[in-house]
Amino acid sequence: MDRVTLLLWLSGALFSLGLLGVIVRRNALVMLMCMELMLNGVNLSLVTFSQQRGDAAGAVLVFLVFVVATAEIALAIPIVLLLVRFKRSMDIDRYSDLKG
Amino acid sequence: MPLLLPHTLALIALLPLFGFLLNGFFATALGGHRANERVASIVGCAFPIAAFALTIKAFLDLQAGGFTPIVEPLYRWALIGSSSFEIAFYFDRLSAIMTLVVTGVGSVIHIYSTGYMHADKSYGRFFAHLNLFLFFMLLLVLGRSLLVLFVGWEGVGLASYLLIGFWFDDLTNAKAGRKAFITNRIGDAGFLLGMFLLYRAFGTLDMDTINGAFLTGSEVAMIVPASLVGLLLFIGATGKSAQIPLYVWLPDAMAGPTPVSALIHAATMVTAGVYLTARMSGIYMMAPEASQVMAVVGVLTAFFAATVALVQTDIKKVLAYSTVSQLGFMFLALGVGAYGVAIFHVVTHAFFKACLFLGAGSVIHALGGEQDIRKMGGLRTKIPVTFWTFAIATAAIAGIPGLAGFFSKDEILWYAFASAKGGAPWLWGMAALTALMTAFYMFRLLWLTFMGASRMSHEVEHHVHESPISMTGVLMLLALLSAGGGYIAIPHFLEAQIPLPPIVESLEHYEHTLLIVSIVLAFAGLGLAVFMYGGPPSRAEAIKQGSLPVHRLLSGKYFVDELYDRAIVKPLVWFSDVVLLRGSDKLLDGSLNGLASLAQRSAGMLGRMQTGSLHLYALLVMVGIVGALLWSWRHV
Amino acid sequence: MLVVREPMRVALALITTMVMLGGIYGLLGVHFIAAFQVLIYVGAVMVFMVYVIMLLEVREAPGNTRYSRFLVPGVTAFAALVGVLGISVYRSNAEILAVPGAPAFSVTQFSKAFLSQYWLEFELTSVFLVAAIVAALAVIKVSRRAHG
Repeated sequence: MDRVTLLLWLSGALFSLGLLGVIVRRNALVMLMCMELMLNGVNLSLVTFSQQRGDAAGAVLVFLVFVVATAEIALAIPIVLLLVRFKRSMDIDRYSDLKG
Repeated sequence: MPLLLPHTLALIALLPLFGFLLNGFFATALGGHRANERVASIVGCAFPIAAFALTIKAFLDLQAGGFTPIVEPLYRWALIGSSSFEIAFYFDRLSAIMTLVVTGVGSVIHIYSTGYMHADKSYGRFFAHLNLFLFFMLLLVLGRSLLVLFVGWEGVGLASYLLIGFWFDDLTNAKAGRKAFITNRIGDAGFLLGMFLLYRAFGTLDMDTINGAFLTGSEVAMIVPASLVGLLLFIGATGKSAQIPLYVWLPDAMAGPTPVSALIHAATMVTAGVYLTARMSGIYMMAPEASQVMAVVGVLTAFFAATVALVQTDIKKVLAYSTVSQLGFMFLALGVGAYGVAIFHVVTHAFFKACLFLGAGSVIHALGGEQDIRKMGGLRTKIPVTFWTFAIATAAIAGIPGLAGFFSKDEILWYAFASAKGGAPWLWGMAALTALMTAFYMFRLLWLTFMGASRMSHEVEHHVHESPISMTGVLMLLALLSAGGGYIAIPHFLEAQIPLPPIVESLEHYEHTLLIVSIVLAFAGLGLAVFMYGGPPSRAEAIKQGSLPVHRLLSGKYFVDELYDRAIVKPLVWFSDVVLLRGSDKLLDGSLNGLASLAQRSAGMLGRMQTGSLHLYALLVMVGIVGALLWSWRHV
Repeated sequence: MLVVREPMRVALALITTMVMLGGIYGLLGVHFIAAFQVLIYVGAVMVFMVYVIMLLEVREAPGNTRYSRFLVPGVTAFAALVGVLGISVYRSNAEILAVPGAPAFSVTQFSKAFLSQYWLEFELTSVFLVAAIVAALAVIKVSRRAHG
């Protein structure tokens, strides 16, 4: 089994686990962290491909993903803070005001 | 004498149209009753009389020109591809006769109407419609191409509808008008098909061109199935000229005012079919089968209508069936090739039938609306002018020698017997029987209406008065024409244009025999009528009781209307209602509603996905990714 | 990470994962990306998360499970996804790395590419970060107004 395949499997597993976490966990913060896990999985696959082809485009994309993740966290956490303050709970299932 | 007005023929047709517009705008309710009766009658009568004067002038021009046909193109109506359709007028011997009759009889009936329709609430509308009718009828007889004729054909149908249903407050009248129009339209389908065939063969619809091609035997004419075209045109004539099977509208048309019955349903419109056939005589000369059909249908119509007229009790219905019967005579003449004789009968029939109808109108006017002849009688002394004119016209139609009807009817009978183009003894036999019946029922009518003891109710009898001079003057004029009109030798006048058919040689010597038979039949009819109705009423009653089933059949007009109703009208109405109306309703509404409810239900189902739960959304994302990857296996 | 109850422990697990990933990047030869991974992800993002977790002392109601009601369907879909991904990767032709361990490209190469060929993405990052700052300020304003 060669290295690239293994790394790609690992990346796929990380991504799937992150998505599963978003589905099954109730806590809002834990869901956020699972989303970070997904992003990491994607990063790994990008780096792998970049290394494989010797192309700098992949590394550039990785850089952009870093920036996006940072910005996303910078915004998501205040939102969660406000939500928690208003709903008095961190259970995602309570945040279904956008129903219908 | 050269033509001073280059558009004489167009003017003849257009003058009544102006009358229609003027009266229509200013003398009807639409125009606000601005004009009173006198203005409406002056406008209404002046234009037809002017048209008559112009017709005389045109006739003199024609005569001066040696009777070469006058052609007057007006303008090009349509240019479709390479075929052009023009409006043009055509004046030859045949058109001259017809136009003189239409404008002449038309004008006098207009004058009569000023008296008859006096104090009617829609006086102005009546004259407007009557003028409109004249306009279309003149288009019909003056048109050069079949297209213009057809416009006139349809237009007179429209005018007839408007005038039959003139007093439309009564639903029966409106229904009669509708029946007339629809029955005519059925015939027109045949007419149109005939026109299509002719146009495809000749590339033009000009009647003189087509007729000429048939007469000279050009190659194009040989290809056209003449019998088929002849039959199709005859179907149109059946509708307009009230032959079997489309005659059923004419008796119902008596719901209209009596001048309308006189003008449209006796003198002019119903003869349009005869005119058409005479004009297209070239086709019929090449089509022995169609001519045979025409002759048979004509004589059958004449016979059956006469039998029904024997027992009718409404004065106008007797005259209506008599008209159908006389039209049958005309088609019999056309069918055996005697086109000129048929036109002769058109002219004499116009005179005496118009006189009869107007006389009936005078009687109705005198009796204040009564039309049942069982409630009349003894009017001879009370309204003498009406009586004498009616009597002269009755003698004319019965074929009393010397008067107009005798000459024309006798010629028809002679040609029915001896024409080499389809004459047969049985045709003559039926026609002769019909002539006998005609004489009988007309004298019956005369006796029951005018002679004998009065059977009127007292108030009616008290108010009986002679009609005003506008009505009686016209009656006298028409009676004069009925008496003397037979001496105008129209068949020979037309012979230069439309030849008379040759006589079978072996039968030539029967001519005088048949003449005497006709005279005998006329007097026999008179005698029978006097016998039955001149004596005590019990005699007629006894004969009626003796033949009650036959009497019932005839009174019910052979129940033709009921047959049509059950066989044709009811299924059509059912079809329209159930299949077309309700079926299409359900189809259209159902499909639209179905679409709407489908959209609603699918939206409802999709809406249930928006639960607001992020977990569900993420799950759906995962499922979506799996699906996308699976799809990519297959297609990438 | 998915089965641990307290958020704090989840955060720590995530930090461990990220550091390990940084190690993998280093082994792959992309040292600067490994440095960035630890610097940005662990040093900024996870620190922020940990701050927030400590800030929100959540007292969950007793008996409240960790899992949403989509556990079973979630796991099923997860298994399907893993299977599909694995089979996709297995089927594709993945080449062997050219030289194991040797850096395929250096920082110089990367920087040159970043600033010349992919300069647009470079500028976009700055725009993106400014947008993030503005949005964060807006959120603060909202929360301030909500509190009078």
